Parts: sequence; structure tokens; C-alpha cells
Amino acid sequence: MSESTDVADFGSNRFVRALLSASTYLLGFIFFFPVLWMVLNGFKTEDQANGTPVFFFQPTLDQFRLVTESIPGRSSFGEVIINSFVIVLVSTMIAMILAVPAAFALSIRPVTKWRDVLFFFISTKFLPVVAGILPVYIIAREFELLNTRWSLIIMYTALNLPLAVWMLRSFFQEVPSELIEAARIDGASLRSQLTSIVLPIVAPGLAATGLLCFIFAWNEFFLSLQLNTSDAQTASVWVTGFESQREDFIAKLSAASTLVVLPVVVAGWVAQKRMIRGLAMGAIK
Amino acid sequence: MARSDAVKKMEKREAWSRRIPLLPALVFVILITQIPFILSIFYSLTEWTVNPPRPRTFEGFENYTFAFGDRFFREAAWVTAKMTFWAVFLSVLFGLGMAILLDRKFRGVGFVRTLVLTPFLVMPVVASLVWKTQMFDASFGMINWFTGQLGLEPFEFVSKQPLWSVIGVLVWQWTPFMMLILLAGLQSQSTSVLEAARVDGATKWGIFRQITLPHLRNYIELCALLGTIYLIQVFDHIVGLTGGVSSTINLPFFVFRTSIGGGWRFGEASAYSILVVIVTIIFATFGLRVLSGLLEGEDAA
Amino acid sequence: MAEVKFDEACRIYPGTDEPAVDRLNLDIGDGELLVLVGPSGSGKSTALRMLAGLEWIDRGSVYINGKDVTLSPPQDRDIAMVFQNYALYPSMTVAQNMGFALKQQGIPKAERMKQVREAARILDLEPFLDRKPKNLSGGQRQRVAMGRAIVRSPQVFLMDEPLSNLDAKLRVQTRTELADLQARLGVTTVYVTHDQVEALTMGHRVAVLNFGVLQQVDTPAILYSRPKNRFVAGFIGSPAMNLIDVDVSGDRGLKLGDLDVPLSPEVAAALETSGPGKYTVGVRPEHLQIGTEGTPGEVSVVEELGSESFVHVAITHQREPLNIEVRAEGETTIQRGDNVHVAFRGPAHLFAPDGERVGD
Repeated sequence: MSESTDVADFGSNRFVRALLSASTYLLGFIFFFPVLWMVLNGFKTEDQANGTPVFFFQPTLDQFRLVTESIPGRSSFGEVIINSFVIVLVSTMIAMILAVPAAFALSIRPVTKWRDVLFFFISTKFLPVVAGILPVYIIAREFELLNTRWSLIIMYTALNLPLAVWMLRSFFQEVPSELIEAARIDGASLRSQLTSIVLPIVAPGLAATGLLCFIFAWNEFFLSLQLNTSDAQTASVWVTGFESQREDFIAKLSAASTLVVLPVVVAGWVAQKRMIRGLAMGAIK
Repeated sequence: MARSDAVKKMEKREAWSRRIPLLPALVFVILITQIPFILSIFYSLTEWTVNPPRPRTFEGFENYTFAFGDRFFREAAWVTAKMTFWAVFLSVLFGLGMAILLDRKFRGVGFVRTLVLTPFLVMPVVASLVWKTQMFDASFGMINWFTGQLGLEPFEFVSKQPLWSVIGVLVWQWTPFMMLILLAGLQSQSTSVLEAARVDGATKWGIFRQITLPHLRNYIELCALLGTIYLIQVFDHIVGLTGGVSSTINLPFFVFRTSIGGGWRFGEASAYSILVVIVTIIFATFGLRVLSGLLEGEDAA
Repeated sequence: MAEVKFDEACRIYPGTDEPAVDRLNLDIGDGELLVLVGPSGSGKSTALRMLAGLEWIDRGSVYINGKDVTLSPPQDRDIAMVFQNYALYPSMTVAQNMGFALKQQGIPKAERMKQVREAARILDLEPFLDRKPKNLSGGQRQRVAMGRAIVRSPQVFLMDEPLSNLDAKLRVQTRTELADLQARLGVTTVYVTHDQVEALTMGHRVAVLNFGVLQQVDTPAILYSRPKNRFVAGFIGSPAMNLIDVDVSGDRGLKLGDLDVPLSPEVAAALETSGPGKYTVGVRPEHLQIGTEGTPGEVSVVEELGSESFVHVAITHQREPLNIEVRAEGETTIQRGDNVHVAFRGPAHLFAPDGERVGD
């Protein structure tokens, strides 16, 4: 029986191993607990959610109903979710469409100054969004983009492009140069090289990158708050509206939060393995 | 040796054809990010307040000299340093611990990993609100409930330790990210090297110290670099947890406060933001050593 | 008719001082299998890639079938290439791999499949047409790479160490199949290898390169019997030729240890005219013998191969110890430590101080 080379396996002692696994489970549970608790609170009444913690209760969908109801003066759940989906999906798509050829030009058939270009892309993230909001706001106002979906689509694309280019590039690096040479000799045009040879190989990397763009765009709060104050509100801003000084709100907030984090959490869970590969590869190289 | 002219011309043409795929992304990013940046530089050289409205006048570097003297700015810088350092350090540390624990094979390891991953997926504003109202809350929060069961007095986390509350939530959210990268690092170790070390009689701890940690060095440095870039810009958590209590005001929040968050002093705020960029560039150039080290292993194809 | 011609072709990588390929002049006949051989860094792969259009030709020209292709991109040169690592497209089946180039040319599917099947038949690949490369063995992948090249019916085949990744036994077997296939198809082939045995067995002619410079291009027989310089002499032939430095000065004749070195009349005459200096005597192990006469020495190592043995003898030459390798027929009773005598079985090669062959 081969001994494990895992770092944390202190000896083949079965008891120690079981203990380690149990501790890992415990830690995992502790990490997850706040999320679990939040979801549970969504199924309680406000009385149950706002007082001393209640562990046994009759779950109800009342809060979910309440938060998804239309309230005059406030964007409805339906509107907000659609806004978020449209904004995030479109910006992710545009970012990927722009990033794929750019990554190609930084890896497989690189421009001479590819290192500088890469650094430039990353450097655009050095100006905190919060700090640059003023000129952005002024320009958005000039172009009448305030309170539209396009303001955020454009901004999210710009914010995600450096990440997408960085990650896609490292995936493209994995394609052996010989394959590209063989394709050239076989007479494949640049576009053909990309679509027939490269993309099938890096498809999982594409998925991971797209997913990460999706996550960051969906979870973004500040820009959405500043640029879309009345119309085209996104889920992140909508959910903060449930915090209230006047009344108990924890159950409603929890229900709303659960709904709002659900898409990303589910996507993250499902594509977990791809995302690990994506983060690791995109990050390391 | 002189190269034939025809070849030199072809090479030039080919170099240009390589640039074309890059241009759409590059142009887009330059337009959207550099224009605001340049405008910020311009504004930072003016005095421009909006409440009460006054004409915008050119002031040169006065905003910058003011910034260095302004104690609020310095405090915000200090808070940023503390917040960023501790958040990065602790999340890398815990991320390493979790990665080590999850690098093993046991039943349900994927499930536990999914659980640990979740905090990273949660919206920062949601995370902040949930922690503020449901975890940290002095009367009814889960932490105090738990410590109460152990007989301890309730502790007002957010009021008494606002900065550490923020750091706590940041660590909760970023540990999974670090863990993923470090897990990839652990799993990319060459098993033959590890096995050779076992055969040579090294202890588990010895292997960790002398083989694993050096191998992870690049990954750890990368975690730190990426973490710093994102964590310097923390904003949502401050708003959600403390509403901007002074001891939690970092530079981005400070800039926000100074400009559209109540101060309406746009010239000053722009100067502050340029300073933030400069500081980040310094850090990143320092980390560029790391980046270069990572990029150096590759040649252009 | 597809002749290939390199004309003063040079390649110098940006940022380096020395050219990777230095003024290569090479004429390859139609249907010939020419092997480019040399140690690592000799420029053989670079020369092949220059022909393929994967490397710039900084100076000089390259012609295929009389046409100057120096500035043409790879797809316009009507060539096909087999890579060392096969470079099979992983997301495509064998049939799609082989048909890819035809597809790029716009040839309709029915016609493509016909040509693919034909090539597959020649290479015994028919049962694998629907498999993906990852489900093939190394030898099968190698054949698919060949098939991909054959399907194109190009003017020239380029092969970059196509057998290097096969295990030894498979390599030898595939070698003969490949040479046979090339002869049948009659397509001009330029073949790169670092293995000189492979070069000698396969090539109609072999071009030896070192440090980017063409050393000699000849048939294997001539390379073996008349190497042009020290490098070729030491590179060609397995086991390698014994190369012994000899100080030739005036009255002291050419000696190996105690033994007079036999030279052919032309070489001896040429030596007379060149005068004294540090020459190199070259003699292959198979042109020496162990016996009762000759220069004395002690056996240090005996390599028994069954059909022959190679005996390493330590002799004294010019007052210094020197190791000579001698071939013995069949099994031998010679053992380590034995005292033996080494003698010549024929004339030796002689190389001048500058490395060039002395004589014809």
C-alpha cells in the first residue's frame, strides 16, 4: 500500500486521519455557516429572525413572496434580476470577444512588447473605481448613459478585460507551438487556426474565465449605485434597500440576499473544478 | 551580418499583422480607463468645490501638498495599510491551512471544498450586511449567542472593533480565493520529488519546510499581489458593516467621502485618487519583480 | 519534378552574434531522400524550418521546383511536415486530422474522405480513422502524422526527427518502413535527425552540419570512407573513429605508439608537401586488430555484443597514455588486464592541423 504524499497526512494512523478529516469538515461547516444561516433566516418570520437565534421553526415562503412583490417607488425583483442578468451577460460576452484575440496576440503569435502590454492591462486596475468615479460620472452624464444598462455594461467590460486577457493568455500558452505551425503549413488562416485548433483546446479555460467575469460583475456594487440611481438598478443595489431603520428587516433581507446570491453561488458550485483550474492557471502564469 | 531588405520588410509587415488582434481590446480599455484617469489628473490640479458652488480654478500641486499635511488623509492611508496588510496576510495564512487540509483524499473532500468556496461567491454587500446583522450583532448575533452558551459576556464587535470586524469579513471572503490558488500549487508538486524525499528519510515537517514551501513561494507571492490589488480598493464592506466609521475609512472610502459622498471637494478628491494610484504602482512595481519572475520563464512564441 | 535548393541561405536569430545557419548551399534532387544530421545546435532543424517557411531566411534564398519561395508563407510552398511530437490536433479524429489541410483548400467532403482513406490504407490506419489522438499509441500517432503529410501530395516532405519519440525497437522497424514508403511515393524528402546511424541507413545522401555550417554532403558510403574533416570523421560511424593527435616533425615519421601509421600513397605524398605540425590520425575500430604484432597495450574494457566485441586498449603514444578502441570479430577470449598488441588493417585517415582531410 503506497503511502500518501499529502502534506497533512501524519502517518498512516487511521485515527489521526479520521480526526483530520473531521476537523476539515468542521472548518468547512464554520466557513459555510453564515451563508447557511442567512438562507435559513429567509424562511423565518421577522419575529423569529430578529430576536435571539431560533433553530427550530416552521419554514415559510412569506418573506420570499414579500420581497418579490412589486412595491411602488422601488424597482421590482423581476426588473432588477433581469437588469443584472442582461448587464452581466452582455458585458461578459463583450469582454470575452475582445479578450480572445488579444490573448492570442499576447501568446501564440505575440507582439514584441507583450510583457509591457500585459502590465498595462493590469495597471488599469490600479485606479480604484471609487476614486475614478467622478470623471466616469461626468462622462456618463454627457453621453446620456446614466440610468441605463449600457453604462454598466461598458464599465464592467472595462473592469473585467484585464482579468480576462490575463487568464485567457495563460490558457493559450498551453497550446503547443507545433500545433500552430502544423496548422499554418496546412494552410489554415489566422481565424481558422483560432477556431479549429486553439479554441477547442482552451474551451475549459474559456468557461472558467467567463465564469469569473460573471462573478465579479454580478457582485459589483459601487458603480451600479452611482450610475444607475433610478432606473436599470441591479441586484446588488436592490438588496441593500432592505436594510431599514424603521422596522425589523432581517428575514426580508435574508430572503432577498438568498435570491440575489443564488445565481452566482450555483454557477460557482457547478463549475467549481473549472474555476479552480482557471484561477490557478490564470493566476500562476 | 546584414539581413536582406526583403526579409526585413516582411518581418515588419508580419509584426503589424500580429498587433491587429490586440487592438480592439487595447483601444477599448485605453478609452474607458485612461480618459477618466487623465481627467482625474487634470481635476487634481484644480480647486473645485461644488457645495457651495465655486468656479474651478487652477491650483497646481496645492492639493497634493495639502494632502500630505492633512491628518485625515494620513489616517486613511494608515487604515488602508492596516486593513490591506491584515486582510491579505490572514487570508493567505488561513488559505494555506485550508489548502493543506483539502489536499488530502478523503470522502467528501469535494463537498467540503464547495462549502469553503462559497464565501468568495457571495456579494460583498450581502456578506457585510449579513455579518453585521446576524453574526456580529451585539444582542442577537450568532457569535455572541455561541459565546453566550459558553458563559461569556456579549461583545459589540462592530462598535468596539470596527476595523477588525471589517478585516474579519474580508478574510472570510478572500480565504477561499487564496485557498484555491494554493491548492493548485500544492497539487502541482511533483510526486516523484516528494517520494524521493520520503525515501531519503525526511520527516513530514521537513518535507513541508524544505520542498513544499519553496515550491509554493511563487503561488504565495502571487496571492499576495493579487490580494493586495483587490483589497486596497475595499469599499462595499466598509459601507455595509460600519457605514464609514472613522477608524475604518480607507483611502478609497476617504476619496469617496471627499467627493460625491458629502465633501463635494472634487479637486482634492482627485488628488487623493492620483496619490492612491501612485502608491499602488509602487507596490506593484515591487511585486513586478514577482510578475517578472513568473513571466520570465516564458519566451515569446 | 521537385528539386530543392538552398542558396547561401542564412538564419541569424535576433540578439545573437553567430548565425544559426551560415551560408547553406545544398542541392536536393527530385525524389531524393536527403538527411540533415548533426549534433544539437548544429542548425539542422533550423535549416528544415527555413525550408518550411517557419523561420525567416535572413540572407540568401530557397527554391522549390525552381521557384523562389524565400518570401512565401508556409501554406504557399506546397510542402508537408512531420513534427517530432507529431503535432496532431487533439480535438479532431484521425480522419479529420488527415483531412484538415484539404479542408483548408476548400476541397469538398467526399473528395477529402476519398484521399484520406487512400492514405490511411497505405499506412494501415483504416481501423483508427474515428479515434482521437489521445486514444492512439505512439507508433500509431506517428503514422497519423505521416498520413497527414501524404494526403497533401506535396512537392516536398519535411521531417523533423519523426522517429525520435519511438522506443528503440519500433524506431528501427519504422525506419525501414519509412524509407520504403518514400521510395514508393517518390517524393523529395528532407529528413532531420541527430542519430547518425539513422542518417546512414535511410538517406540517399547525407548532409552533415555543425555550428550552422555544412561540413559535407555525400552518400553514406563516401561519408564513411572519405570524411572531409575531423568533425565528420568523428561524428559518422558507430562506434566512433579513433582520432589520435600526432606531432609530425621532420625526421620522426608518423607513428601511433610504436607503430608506423600506414597511409595511402596520395595521402603520404600530400603529407610530405604540407610539412610538420599537429596532425590527427583517424582509424576506425574495425580497421585495427588485436594480435601478436603492433604497438603494445593493456586491455581496459571489453564490450561483448555477441556478433562482435569492442576492446578498449590503453597504449602509450608520444609518451602519454592513450585509449584506443579496437573491433574484434565474434566472441572473444580477451579480458580486462590482458597485454595485447594493436596493429592496423589498412591505411589510416589523416587530418591536417586545421581539421581538413589530407590527401584526396
